[in-house]
Amino acid sequence: MRKRPADTGRYFRLRIYVVLGFFVIFFAAIFGRAFQLQVLDSGRLKHLAQKQHRKTINIQSKRGDIYDRNLKELAVSIEVDSVFAQPGKIVSPRAAARALSPIIAVSASEIERKIKSQPNFVWLKRQVDLKEDDRKLLSKIEGVGVVKEARRFYPNRQLASNIIGFTGLDSNGLEGVERYYDATLKGASRKFVGDKDAMGRLLLFEDLDKTLPVQGMEVELTIDKTIQYIAEKALKKAVEEAGAKGGTALVMDPMTGEMLAMASLPTFDPNDIKRFEPKHWRNRNITDAFEPGSTFKLFLISAALEENAVKPKESIYCENGSYRVADRVFHDHEKHGWLTVPQIIKVSSNIGSAKIGERLGKVQLYRYLKAFGFGGKTGIDLPGEAVGALRHHSTWSGVTIDTVSFGQGVSVTGIQLISALSTIANGGFLMKPYVVRSVKDSNGAIVSETNPVIMRKVISEDTAKRITDMLVGVTEEGGTGTNAAIDDFEAAGKTGTAQKPDLKNGGYMKGAYLASFIGFAPARAPRLSILVTIDEPRGEIYYGGQVAAPVFKEIAEQSLSYMGVFPENRKGPAVQSVKAEKEAFAHAVALDIADETNAVETAGGMTERPMSVPDFNGRTVRAVLKMARDKAFDVEINGSGRAYAQRPAPGQSIPAKGAVAVSFQ
Amino acid sequence: MIDRRLFTHFDWLTLSVIASLTLIGFASVFSATHLHQASIYQKDVWWVAIGTAMMILAIVVNYSFIERLAYFIYGATILLLISVYFIGSSFSGAQRWISFGFFTLQPSEPAKLGLIIILAKFFSEKNVPAHGLGLKDLILPGILMIVPFLLIAKQPDLGTGIIIWMIFWSVVLIVKIRTKVLLGIFASFMAIMPFGWMLLKGYQKARLTSFLNPDADPLGSGYHVMQSKIAIGSGGIFGKGFTEGTQGKLMFLPEHHTDFIFSVLSEEWGLLGSLVVIALFLTLVICGLNTASGSKDRFGFLIAFGITSMFFWQIIINLGMVSGILPVVGVPLPFISYGGSFLITSMIAAGLLLNIKMRKFIF
Repeated sequence: MRKRPADTGRYFRLRIYVVLGFFVIFFAAIFGRAFQLQVLDSGRLKHLAQKQHRKTINIQSKRGDIYDRNLKELAVSIEVDSVFAQPGKIVSPRAAARALSPIIAVSASEIERKIKSQPNFVWLKRQVDLKEDDRKLLSKIEGVGVVKEARRFYPNRQLASNIIGFTGLDSNGLEGVERYYDATLKGASRKFVGDKDAMGRLLLFEDLDKTLPVQGMEVELTIDKTIQYIAEKALKKAVEEAGAKGGTALVMDPMTGEMLAMASLPTFDPNDIKRFEPKHWRNRNITDAFEPGSTFKLFLISAALEENAVKPKESIYCENGSYRVADRVFHDHEKHGWLTVPQIIKVSSNIGSAKIGERLGKVQLYRYLKAFGFGGKTGIDLPGEAVGALRHHSTWSGVTIDTVSFGQGVSVTGIQLISALSTIANGGFLMKPYVVRSVKDSNGAIVSETNPVIMRKVISEDTAKRITDMLVGVTEEGGTGTNAAIDDFEAAGKTGTAQKPDLKNGGYMKGAYLASFIGFAPARAPRLSILVTIDEPRGEIYYGGQVAAPVFKEIAEQSLSYMGVFPENRKGPAVQSVKAEKEAFAHAVALDIADETNAVETAGGMTERPMSVPDFNGRTVRAVLKMARDKAFDVEINGSGRAYAQRPAPGQSIPAKGAVAVSFQ
Repeated sequence: MIDRRLFTHFDWLTLSVIASLTLIGFASVFSATHLHQASIYQKDVWWVAIGTAMMILAIVVNYSFIERLAYFIYGATILLLISVYFIGSSFSGAQRWISFGFFTLQPSEPAKLGLIIILAKFFSEKNVPAHGLGLKDLILPGILMIVPFLLIAKQPDLGTGIIIWMIFWSVVLIVKIRTKVLLGIFASFMAIMPFGWMLLKGYQKARLTSFLNPDADPLGSGYHVMQSKIAIGSGGIFGKGFTEGTQGKLMFLPEHHTDFIFSVLSEEWGLLGSLVVIALFLTLVICGLNTASGSKDRFGFLIAFGITSMFFWQIIINLGMVSGILPVVGVPLPFISYGGSFLITSMIAAGLLLNIKMRKFIF
């Protein structure tokens, strides 16, 4: 073998050292680079990495169902399919579009346009019902997929739609209860953080089934589906017969403020909102203000009796149908001479009302109307509540006191009117109206319950009873509301026929009326307060007593029968109604009291006149101001500290002019 | 027959470095593929086993035997390379493999060893002039190099081609070359470059251009480098933890178990992991140089040096490309990257180093 020695001396050793140095330099460079990337640039690169693989998906929990007071379904969530495309994976958009078109019922050109509009993801059709075969066909098309989404379904279609409202595509409540209680119904949505791989496949860290977000809460309404149906049917019939533009009907439990039915025409089907104009969506009972007309008289009379401005049996001269005040001449429907207060209600005399209003004075009338809830929101748990228009008495002109007395020059909402009416029905308490009784979680456990809330006591029980007597007279022989009389029960009510204001030219529109009827039954132990308005009945029959009263009758009769209320004044034991009354009263006493000052009075055994001057003794300036604001009168503050003297004395009427003077020290 | 000195001079350090790297390599391949491509790390068990067996064989056989078989070995590797054109299977546009059913051989891998052996044989027998090799002296070894180079480049396998090229010049430089000749070759090489550019395939050109500015087209040709940098950088100092890496496992990083395995590794083990691996590699090449300078004959010296230079260039080019300081040319990382032929070739090469080291006193 020819062998050469490896070691050819210093030459090789030198070279090896050079090579070694060379190696070390290169390795050092690589290490330097690693340091640069992993320490210096690390933050930026980490962010980039996360952006690539981190995927958060928002899982919206199932929206809670909505039930009526007897747990009948009004709105439910069902699972449906939504079809999407990942255009990047589609080789031929045209071919895919052609294949998809018949399955999802969208034109091929529309699909193609959608596919080309987005690089990564696009919805092709959301919320479709796919058959099993369709799903198979879809799965064969590359780049097209199906996901389950929850869709809102309203099994009763139009029924109660103006109360329930509806949701948008992304399960957001847009109207009605769906909107007002959106956060409750929606429940938690949860962000799931997962990794996705380069193909976009999702790998979740958590098990999706086990960690589903808290489901939306279920909402139980105070609405009774059957009464709602009765009200809608009766209203619809009347509106159609009268050829009216629309109408509303409200049914309230006067003892609690629970809304049993809210009908609004025109209406819509929440399953298919696009077919209806947006103006059909609203709940006119709370969003629309109107001039109440004669129905307003009973609040005037309530105030006047309460303040002793008139005696119940007193007769008032009604000027034979023509009464001049300043430059205006007021007329009555029929000419009357002397009428007692109950007769003024019974025949609905404008002149009589105006004269009583003049006696009462604008300060007191304004205060009582405010106390009845007019000119302010009732606070009902529905969106879009209107305030109406009740101007402060200081801006009233000479005749305003007269017109307001018979319901002109003010505007109110249906919900205000029925709440005020219930005050008379329940003995003087203004209840806060509400539509949601309770909220339950998805397991059925009660999360919150709504208790009736007394806003304030407006009139004494005595006055309420007197007014009730007068209102019963309206439905009896010779009254304007005989069409509202119910067979087996006494009904209390008041008609109203208001000319509609001309919003463009001022004044009133010719031949455009709002016919209304408000009432409650049974008159002595009321279970239902009912309001009916018919908007612009056409033709000769347009009086509230003609077009609205029969609707009241139908709703009252059928609802009472459905509720199993035993006829009181014909046959059968009276025990039933007495018992009901007692229960109702016990209920009312146990209610939540809205504010402290009322609590004092109600607990103190029904002060005779709730709207009179309260006792300020020992109260702070701040407390006095609050009490005054609450009862809508002015105070004159003298001194500071705690109240020790006042004029007028507690329990007396508020002065017609000037303020209540309170001295502090 | 077995000399006791074989054991006393056995290079345990090199062996432990190789064992560590192989284990780290397997762990990294496992981490990169266990989620979506489990069959890959399962096969890797086999490659490690076969590689270990071949390494033992390469240690046991006296390298003088290899010296005698040098032309045969070289010839065999050339034949394999040629046969790729007739019975080779192609994958994504490159015809690099010969299928043996279970095992697909990539002949360009053993060709590197074939070249080292034949160059060692050639230069150990040649009288090198005192002032170094002249141009004429380079013709024959040049042909020995250019034949496998062209065959490999034609497949195409640019990465292995470059390694062949680098091995040749490393060996020639250590043997000593005339400075004038070196400068001349360098000048003419620079002159030819533009023409060489035209011979490159489109994707090869794209890799070279995107290397200069990877951010310009992050989803196109710069994608590899960008993804690799993201993976490495997002590891930070301590890494995301074993199998906790996201970029490799979730397949954002292409070639994550082969050429870009280092990115997976440093994503999961951070700067500390990178440092350990770089230190192991540095130890490996220093041991290689040590083996070379301590070898008892010129053939052993050149084999050891050739193998060391092969490792060195593979390591540097691979790490350089995955960290974005060199263009992406497709060179795998010894002992770490997945690849049967590659791992087995590397282990045989390591075996030869151990072989030469332990026989340095045996004549």
